[in-house]
Amino acid sequence: MKPRTREALALLPSALLITAGFTAIFLKRSDFVGNTSLIYGGAFLALCLVGHLVIRFTARNADPFLFPLVALVACFGLVELYRIDESFARSQALWFVIGLGLFAATMFALRDYHQLERYRYTIALGAIVLLILPRFPLIGQATNGAYLSIKIGPLSFQAAEFAKIGIVIFLASYLRDTRQVLIHGGRKVLGVSLPPLRHLGPLLAIWGTAMLLLIFIRDLGSSLMFFGAFLALIYVATGKLRFPLIGIGAFAAGAYLVGSKVGHVQDRVAAWRHPFDPILFGAADVTPRPPEYGTSYQLAQSLFAQADGGLFGRGFGQAEIGTTISSGGDVTTPLLPASQTDMIYALITNETGLLGASAIILAYLLFVHRGFRVAILARDPFSKLLATGLTAVFALQVFVIVGGVTKVIPLTGVTLPFVSYGGSSIMANFVLLALLLRVSEDARRPT
Amino acid sequence: MTALPLADLVEPVSVALKFGIVAVLYLFLAWVARSSVADLSRGAVGAVAPGLADAGGLSPTAGGEPRLRVERAVGHQPGDEYDIGPGAVIGRGSQVDIKIDDAYASGKHARLVRQAGVVIVEDLGSTNGTFLNEEPLAGPQPLQLGDRIRIGDTEFTYLDD
Repeated sequence: MKPRTREALALLPSALLITAGFTAIFLKRSDFVGNTSLIYGGAFLALCLVGHLVIRFTARNADPFLFPLVALVACFGLVELYRIDESFARSQALWFVIGLGLFAATMFALRDYHQLERYRYTIALGAIVLLILPRFPLIGQATNGAYLSIKIGPLSFQAAEFAKIGIVIFLASYLRDTRQVLIHGGRKVLGVSLPPLRHLGPLLAIWGTAMLLLIFIRDLGSSLMFFGAFLALIYVATGKLRFPLIGIGAFAAGAYLVGSKVGHVQDRVAAWRHPFDPILFGAADVTPRPPEYGTSYQLAQSLFAQADGGLFGRGFGQAEIGTTISSGGDVTTPLLPASQTDMIYALITNETGLLGASAIILAYLLFVHRGFRVAILARDPFSKLLATGLTAVFALQVFVIVGGVTKVIPLTGVTLPFVSYGGSSIMANFVLLALLLRVSEDARRPT
Repeated sequence: MTALPLADLVEPVSVALKFGIVAVLYLFLAWVARSSVADLSRGAVGAVAPGLADAGGLSPTAGGEPRLRVERAVGHQPGDEYDIGPGAVIGRGSQVDIKIDDAYASGKHARLVRQAGVVIVEDLGSTNGTFLNEEPLAGPQPLQLGDRIRIGDTEFTYLDD
């Protein structure tokens, strides 16, 4: 079967799933099955086919499963968003159209992604500026104590989402040049041969940047994502286990120091360690006044929601996400705060159960597998490193948010790629997907 | 016969949908996984040139003898292969291992050295420069299977499979 035929076929299950998902929600809502869900399913399939045609025209030989796997997780996101609030789903669908436009633009404009190497320092500078901007007054904006978004007029966007791609491009290009000197040369210190200081410098600078990010944007998740991608790249570039090991040690030490100094990070860690602590949960003051939640309320509720899902889940549209407290006025208390962004994984688990949640994780795993496969097949070092970096940063993003929601690591506000509500995340991840497909096309094109 | 009230159908339809969704989901994932595993055991996807797929990661891997294949060079047959051995100097002069008659080449133009399992190419201060995959060589660079080394109008491909 030709790769593009496979891709077109692989899009059908997603269209089927989104139709079924919407049907389930309509059933729950109005006890009525109309043809509306078929229209939604058809529209989704049409969007996917547009993406498919773009790939068919620009990257005929590229990996056939990357795009359908994205479509699969995206349809979960759309169904859940519709279920939370129709307006979310409507604007999310709009973001998908814009994201797909950006995807097409990248596919058409960036025929030779090796050009990116020429602008690596510009790209790196741009990424750093994007990361620092949220901290500036007027345009910066703090969300739950972390500085992640920029607000210009009515538009706000998540700078880190775009910065991650820039940083990966820079690192791939930089490490392609220097990886040899990192392996060979330099003095031996305590039996470990260290690279010469001239080359160690930039590596230390990257570690320093990660630490600065931690202090500056106060977000453990993003720093972990960036630094983890860096370690994955340096491991692949040099083939030496000592670099990631030293890196993990350095990051852990730095994170520990910063974590014990910065109040916001401290709160997150405390909430992570004791989510059911009555004071942290905020159970001390319930009914009077507008209810106030503790720092661990979100995480604890997420754990309850996931446990409640059981093996098969409650079914699409059946989760309780809000409850009305009547005493002291009608206040709708969110049972799952931020269920459209941070907590969407918990909501999916509640509605589709362990099976559905595992399927999402499996879909991401397969995406990552295909991504690393692109790296293995790539023909030149820069392509290999670029594909590795993009895949690693994507995988780490999923890990950071799913890990946070399931209480493996402290919870931080990173989006679940292609599922969470938010334009920046969708657009940036579509660009990431386009780059991966470009590398894949280069690697699999018959010579 | 009266038609079943719609409300009575809702429950069974919901349940059917729930399990239908799970079934479609897992069938799809199983298909992707199967294709991926099949790709793995086949080693390479059809579209990939033989040899390249096995190049694996970036780290030096034990492979065949490193050698240069002539792509185009005056006085050499395209397709000829030269073993690099522990190292080789390319140039126009007489004290070299691979002699090329190229007007743009210097006497001792470039050198290949084997170092810790990797072969490194290095320009020996030539006048017109050495190009690795059409990029001018700035410092010593490790070679990957399939890399192209160009000196003036002479071009080699590096092989070690």
